[in-house]
Amino acid sequence: MSNDIDLLRLDRRRVMQATAAAAGALLLPGTSFAEDAPRKGGTLRVAMPYNPGSVDPMTGRNLTDFNVLYGVFDALVDFEPLTLELKPGLAKSWKFADLKTLVLELQEGVTFHDGSPFNADAVKFNLDRYKNDPRSNVKSDLSSVESVEVNAPNKVTIRLNKPNVGLPVILTNRVGLMVSPKSIQEKGPNVDRNPVGTGPFKFVSWQDNDSFVLNRNENYWKPGLPYLDALNMRIISELNTVVRTVTAGECDVALNLQPQQKVVADRAGGVVTKVFPSLVPYLAFINYGRPPLDNLQVRQALNYAINRDEINKVAALGLGQPSSTILSKAHWACDPETVNYYTYDPAKAKKLLADAGHPDGIDIETIGWADQTAMQRQEIIISQLAKVGIRIKLTPLSPQQAVQAFMIDKKGAMFISPSSPFADPSQFYENLFGKDALRNAGRVELPGFRELLDATMDTPDQNARKAAFAKLQRFTVENALSLVQFIAPAIGVMSGKVQNYKDGLPATPKFTEVWLSA
Amino acid sequence: MGKILRLVGRRLWQLLPIIVFATFVVFSLLQLVPGDPAVVLAGDYASEQRIAEIRQLYGLDQPFLVQYGVWLLHALEGNLGRSLLTSESVSQLILYRLPNTLLIAVYALVIAGVVGVALGVAAATRVGTRLDAFITGLASLGVALPSFWLAMILVATLSLGLHWFPTTGAAPLLTDPWGAIMHATLPAVALAVGVIAELARQVRSALIEVLNSQYIRTLRAKGLSSGAVLWKHGLRNISVTLLTLLGLQVNRLFSGAVVIEAVFAIPGVGSLVANSALNKDFPVVQGVVLVLVVIVILINLLVDVLSALLDPRAAEA
Repeated sequence: MSNDIDLLRLDRRRVMQATAAAAGALLLPGTSFAEDAPRKGGTLRVAMPYNPGSVDPMTGRNLTDFNVLYGVFDALVDFEPLTLELKPGLAKSWKFADLKTLVLELQEGVTFHDGSPFNADAVKFNLDRYKNDPRSNVKSDLSSVESVEVNAPNKVTIRLNKPNVGLPVILTNRVGLMVSPKSIQEKGPNVDRNPVGTGPFKFVSWQDNDSFVLNRNENYWKPGLPYLDALNMRIISELNTVVRTVTAGECDVALNLQPQQKVVADRAGGVVTKVFPSLVPYLAFINYGRPPLDNLQVRQALNYAINRDEINKVAALGLGQPSSTILSKAHWACDPETVNYYTYDPAKAKKLLADAGHPDGIDIETIGWADQTAMQRQEIIISQLAKVGIRIKLTPLSPQQAVQAFMIDKKGAMFISPSSPFADPSQFYENLFGKDALRNAGRVELPGFRELLDATMDTPDQNARKAAFAKLQRFTVENALSLVQFIAPAIGVMSGKVQNYKDGLPATPKFTEVWLSA
Repeated sequence: MGKILRLVGRRLWQLLPIIVFATFVVFSLLQLVPGDPAVVLAGDYASEQRIAEIRQLYGLDQPFLVQYGVWLLHALEGNLGRSLLTSESVSQLILYRLPNTLLIAVYALVIAGVVGVALGVAAATRVGTRLDAFITGLASLGVALPSFWLAMILVATLSLGLHWFPTTGAAPLLTDPWGAIMHATLPAVALAVGVIAELARQVRSALIEVLNSQYIRTLRAKGLSSGAVLWKHGLRNISVTLLTLLGLQVNRLFSGAVVIEAVFAIPGVGSLVANSALNKDFPVVQGVVLVLVVIVILINLLVDVLSALLDPRAAEA
């Protein structure tokens, strides 16, 4: 009897011991009384500044759509965010039988949110749709695909009309996202607002420019995932307001921010800011199909005349990576020697200009964006170039007007803007410098470019590909085909409760493995 | 009574031509705005060929009058179409967003009405005193203050600082009335300040004029108390002016809402029409303009009817 009472008795000594132990544990770095193991449950409240135009991968148009797309859909091929290394997705393995034949083995036992089965028929349906539907924005991603064959319920063969070893990488992106064929058959061809996939979260509702609600997919094929009960996404177009929702505790995560918001968040305190390298280069597209920028020396003068470190410090608050080339140095296809190829050398720039026949300087008509951050960046560039005699005549426009003016109406010689990134580096080069590329306003391919690009597509060996990309990259940098300033950082702000938030080079965070501590 | 019914009938009859005219003007202006919705629709994957395909797919290559005509025909049937950019039904968009804007506009109007009139009356009944000078000065300041700046100050102090109010968003009025009011308070206050200032000045000068009139002096001479003079006779005489003022301020509130909705991330029609106009999403812009025209005309009609009831001479107009 007295023993029982002894056990229960909390005398002063025991309480002190327990408290000391607890305090000691708290002092040890890396330990906390919060669980280290992921906790299931909770609704993650996300704030983001962009409203997707559509959550059908086929008709959507912006990178930021992936905030929702990767929640509702899985891709055939998955990737590691920080290294871009490929991992199995809905396809558990893939192999090039020969350079023009890709065989995919699919995961089994996966169902779409509406209960219909995911299988080879579904894969064929989706790929054919992406390639042939009149509303498809992504046909060009599958331009090398000739046909898709169903060999077995879990096996698909893709036949190509030309070698494209970048196809597995492309299948991590829009054309690899699998939409339920049943949903398209039942809801009609326009499923822009009715996404049904195999992903960790099911679509519940979407109020334009206001909110997205996604609930956990209880039958998700990856065991134990996702941890979250639901995703509640708010769309708020003013960036500082987006950050305010997190600092005020109204949301848990803020996405797609600019460097300026990191300062706002740090000043408010009580939140965690995460900075990742991204794939988005801030550059100037150049029309090198006509004077004055058809002259190599003038283009190189531009590249020597800008001070990339200064631009990075002012425009990206030092969080970006100054670069002479479009690929981040963290990217596997980037040749590190090209990153700082053009040093800041105004004297050399002046000399190149003089050699090119412009001893008294040159005027360059330039298109740019009109918002405050862009104007700040543009003003720095203009003042740096003015020092070597390059006089920029800037026309600021809204982003879509600017695209129209420079890329379609062919106005101006340069367009200062960030570029959207692409899944496979070959797409990057094709879409920036290829003859038919929209962004290549001059519609001119320099001799030698095409052979170098083709060489990156027909060798499946990663190392050989890397070497081929290095050559292509040197070519584009030595020929100064664009004026790259820096690679942008991807910035997220979140409360301390958000665990395991992973973003990376593609700047498309996935919430599959995110959990909320208590 | 018959006169009022005739007034209402006349106004409703004018509604349709005004809607057609207003939407036609807005549509024409939109055409002048540089930019191409097809480019936005093509997005990151744009190519010249894709843009041309999209233009054809959405009928954007049709002649201007044909595009307007098609829209008008559908609108008359009650079909406001779908957003070019997001395929969302325009009616659904407006139905969801209009109540949020209406809530802050009405809330602001009520605050402004109560405070503005009170200040105006206080100043008018104490002309020449320090209070009058203070109120007049405050009114001038209120007119000059940018509502955007004031909104941010309010958020920083009352929301982020003291946690009295939420920082952003809106709550549905029907299911969460208290939440809706809390969310709408700071935006409404920010919107109301300009209107308070305007009302205070106008009420003050109108009331001063009335209180100095022969009619009021006669009443005072007859021994009527100053309270009765003010409330029963003074205010009634300026009531028509006041109503007209309030009606005019509604326009100001709707346009001010665009900015306030951005600061507070309120899903309302102000931010809707601003975003859509920038992106040349013309079905949405046309739909919102149509609804706003109807609202403004109905409010003007309400003001006129109330004026006629308060002062039968107004019904002659």
